Parts: sequence; C-alpha cells; structure tokens
Amino acid sequence: MISQQWRARLTYAAMSAFLAWHTATIVIAPAPDVSAFVQALRVPLHPYLVFFRLDNPWDFFAPNVGRRPQFRYIIEDVRGNHHPFMPTKDLNWFHPSFFWSYSWYDAVIDEPETYADAAAAFLCRKHASLHPVSIILLQAEGGDFTPEDQLAGKNPMDPEFVTVTTVKRVACTGS
Amino acid sequence: MHRILEFVRNVFAALGRAWSGFWFQTSVTTPLELARMGIGAALLFHYAMATPFLFDLWGEGGWVPRALVLENKTDPWMQSLLYYFTAPWQWVAFHALFLVCSAALMVGWRTSWVKWIVLVGQISYDYRTPVLFYGVDKILACLLLIMCVAPIGRAMSLDRVRAVRAAKLEKLAATLPPYASPWAGACTRLMQIQMAVLFFYSGVGKLRGDDWWNGDALWVVFITGEHYNRFMLDLLASHYWLTNVGTYGTVLIELAFPFLIWQRRTRPYLLAAAIFLHVQFAVLMGLFYFSFVMVMGHMSFVRPEWLARLGQAWKRRMGDMEMIYDGRCGFCVRSMAWFLAFDGLGQVRIRDFRIDPSPVVSDAQVEKALYLVLPDGRALPGFEAYRYVVLRVPGLWWQIPFFYVPVLSRLCGHPIYNWIAANRGRLSSLRLGLARPLAK
Repeated sequence: MISQQWRARLTYAAMSAFLAWHTATIVIAPAPDVSAFVQALRVPLHPYLVFFRLDNPWDFFAPNVGRRPQFRYIIEDVRGNHHPFMPTKDLNWFHPSFFWSYSWYDAVIDEPETYADAAAAFLCRKHASLHPVSIILLQAEGGDFTPEDQLAGKNPMDPEFVTVTTVKRVACTGS
Repeated sequence: MHRILEFVRNVFAALGRAWSGFWFQTSVTTPLELARMGIGAALLFHYAMATPFLFDLWGEGGWVPRALVLENKTDPWMQSLLYYFTAPWQWVAFHALFLVCSAALMVGWRTSWVKWIVLVGQISYDYRTPVLFYGVDKILACLLLIMCVAPIGRAMSLDRVRAVRAAKLEKLAATLPPYASPWAGACTRLMQIQMAVLFFYSGVGKLRGDDWWNGDALWVVFITGEHYNRFMLDLLASHYWLTNVGTYGTVLIELAFPFLIWQRRTRPYLLAAAIFLHVQFAVLMGLFYFSFVMVMGHMSFVRPEWLARLGQAWKRRMGDMEMIYDGRCGFCVRSMAWFLAFDGLGQVRIRDFRIDPSPVVSDAQVEKALYLVLPDGRALPGFEAYRYVVLRVPGLWWQIPFFYVPVLSRLCGHPIYNWIAANRGRLSSLRLGLARPLAK
C-alpha cells in the first residue's frame, strides 16, 4: 500500500507534470516552425497537439488582413442558359453557416483540384430544378478601394474594383 | 561539500515554493464556472442553429464528402467520430447528444462527464470537415480541454444545487462550504496562460504585416466581403485617422495584454480593454460567436474576490429576506431544500414557525401559506413570496419567465399555489423527489 504522504506526493508530481506539459504545448504550438529548434520541440508534442485540436498559430488577421476572393458560380442549363449566383449575398452574420460558408468557398478557390468537384456536385444537386448541365465556379478578386471611392458612394464589390476569373468548370454528372 | 549541498537544497526548495505559489494556490472555481456557462451556451446556440444544415456541413452528400476528407487527411492523429457513421440517424443522434450535453455543460448538470462528450463532439465536428473551421473553433477546443481536466461544476451549477439540496434534506439550516482546491487554481492559471499566449502570438503576428504597420488594417477589414460594414466605411473614410487609431490600438492591447494582465493593479484595465476589443469585433465585424467565446475565456482572469464583492453588494442591495415555513410539513421542507439550494448567496433566512414563531406573521396565517418577511416589515404570502424572491435571488432567475408573465403568472400561480398549500399534507406522504427520509 502506498502511504498517504506518498500518494499526495505522487498526485502533486502528476499534476505538475501535466501542467508543465500542457503549458509547453500552449507556448510552443503557435511558434513559427521555421527553426530546427522549434521543429524538434514539436516532435514529442505532435500527437497531443493534433489529437486534441490544439495546433493553432493564433494568426487572426495576421500578418496582413488579406482580402479573400468572393466565390460565385454560374449554372449552365440544358438550353444553354446561364444562371449566375453570388451565394455570399444570402449569408447572414448572425447565422453559424456564415463563416463556415466563407471557409468552404475559400477552400474551393484555393484548392480547386481537391474541392471543386465535390462543391460542384453539391451545387448541381441543390439547383436540380434548373436542370444543370455544368457549373462554372468563379472567383471575384477585389482591387484597391480607397476612402475617396467610399466617399464617392462606390462599393468595394462594384464591377470596376473586381476581377472575375474562372476557378473551374465542372460537368454535372447524371444530367 | 555540506554547504554546497545545503545551497542546492535551498535553491530547489525555493523553486518548489515558487512553482507551488504560481500554480497551486487554493482557489474557488467561479472564474472557470463563468467560462463553462458561457461556452456551453455558445455551443448550444451555435450548433442548434446549424441543425438544418447538419448533412450539408458534415454529412455524406454535403459540402465535402467523407471520402474526400479521408483522402486528404494528412495525419493519423486527426480523428472524428463522424468518420465512422454510415446511416443518417447516427448523425442526428450524435448531434442531439451534443446539443443536450452542451445544454448540460451550460447549466452544470453531470458536468464531470458531459464536458468530455462536448470536447469529443467539438473535435469530431472540426475534423469531419476541416476546411470549415475558423478562429472560434480553434479556441474552443483549447478551452474545452482545460475545462475537462478542471474540477468544474462545483459552483453556479445544478451539480452544486444537488449537493446543497442533499445537505439541506438532512438539515434545512445546513450550509455547504464553497468548493476550493489547489487544482482549481492550477486550471484557472492554465486557462489564463492560454488566453495570454493567444494574445501574444496574435499581436506579434500582426507586427509582421504591412496592413498593421501602416495603420490601414481596420480599413482593409471593413472592405472585405465577410466583414463589409457600410456605416464603418463611411465613418472611416471621412475620418481616416480613426483607422490608424483602431489599428494601432488593437495591436497595443494584444501586445500589452500578456504582460500586464498578471499584475493586480493593471489587470482590471487590461481585462476591460480585451473585452472592449471583442465587443467591437462582435458588433462591427459580425464576429458574435468568436467574441463571446473569447470573452468567456477572459473570465479566467476575473478574481474570485471581485465576484464575492459583487455578490455581497447585491445581497446588501436586495436586503434581508426571511421565509417562514411549516417545519412539520415534509413537502414544505423538501420544497424549501430545493428552493434554498439555488440561493447561492445565502440571501434568504428561514424560520420554522412551529418551533420559532414569527413576531410579524401569526401562526394561523402561516398554517395557510408560506410567508416572506421583508426588511420594511411587509409580509408576502404564498405565490407572492416566491414571485418576490425569484427576481432577487440570482440562482432563481431562470424561474422569472414563469412568475412574471403579465396577468397569466398571477392568474395561474395563485390557484396552483393555494391548491398545493391546501393539499400539502397529502403531498408530504408522496415523498416526491426525496432520495432518503428526512432527518427527524
């Protein structure tokens, strides 16, 4: 039997070990891993960091705010008609889907080879009533928008400030 | 040699004391409980609103099919329960369980294990569709893990109410001392470090960007699609210096916070600044969920003595309240045990008129209904007594909707109370909700 005193000591040691370990993960995880030193420190922490979703750089709006391109798409129906959509217009700040949607659109724009087909398949199903043949996924990149533009009553998403390019054209399977 | 050993021993002893002093200060859990309630509420509200999109966000035919996620999964340690679901009912059951556990976390019911389910749920949602998570999902997992190892649910919770009620069923005047432990202090410290480190890296990261160095970041934020705010752009365009002030102010607060939040004198100012910053993020940028969760994380810096002072001030302001009840009625005693268990500040005194008659209310009156005596000498009977108390005892605020619906509450409340009071003898014999017989 472990005596009461030793049990208390072991508990104290275990608690201290956990606190030291977790504090190390909190401090090291966000550190830029460009140096060999930080990379080496991260090795033993890696499973813990990933399994518990603790691996975050805490780089909110950093180093620069960055203007993410706006996601748009055009549905091409069987008659060759084009139906343009600007999904971000229907989003609402107060709804949880707002930032999740933006994150998804970013993924489609940033990694079209990975996510564009799945996104197109989803959108084809969503707009099945339009009998889509294909979907053209687009990105609208905003240009410089100055205070003078604002005072002139313009909007950052006005056509003069936006360059629209095709991300990918995807055929709707089963159409 | 002896002196060297002595010196080394002294150094280690001093280090040990410093370590214990930093981490293991006996503390109550109230700062962590504030974070628990807020985070539970935020998760419940947020994910409940996401329910109509359950299959779009995390389902097979949704935005990102599971096969695609697994194909691009770069690390075997990324795990989600949702990887293993095959039938739609499993998603629904999982989501329902997650919502119920979030609600339980909020109210502190069975906290010791529901917090783990909430953590597993949050991580599972995150990893099921990794492209979806943004700032708040990152901080949530970190705070939830700390709450999982912390002894939360010991105050401001239904678990605490149950414990107090059990003690009061033994003896109605019994009080349960507030829970405090060195581990609670250590976990509070851990959450504080988490928030300070977050601010530090966030501030340092901004220093590397031109938007922040040049003082234009605020302008750029408001012209982006997701944070577009016409009112703010109009204001900043005509007074551009506000953009610079806001930009540099944000960096200043983020950099000052991790260093000045620890000092007794500066903590209130830094805490107020951090909360102010997040209120701005919420109102002006639409980051309501993120800001709320961040503010809840900052609650770890609220000193328990501040809350205690606030409680005392509230108690003084509300004044002394005495409830006179029938100690021979088992149902009345059990009801009082429940009722008083929610009175965490100890605002209500009790008097059993059978053994200690009131000088204000006659025995004949108390035979008919419970009475509440106020500091000015007024005595409120039955339903009116409860109605008065629920507004003034914070632990009972959840009952306000039942007692204060105009007209309807009084219309229904009086007859219901009178019926219960008239039949309390019969109700006593039912022993409703009694875990064990009342102590004689």
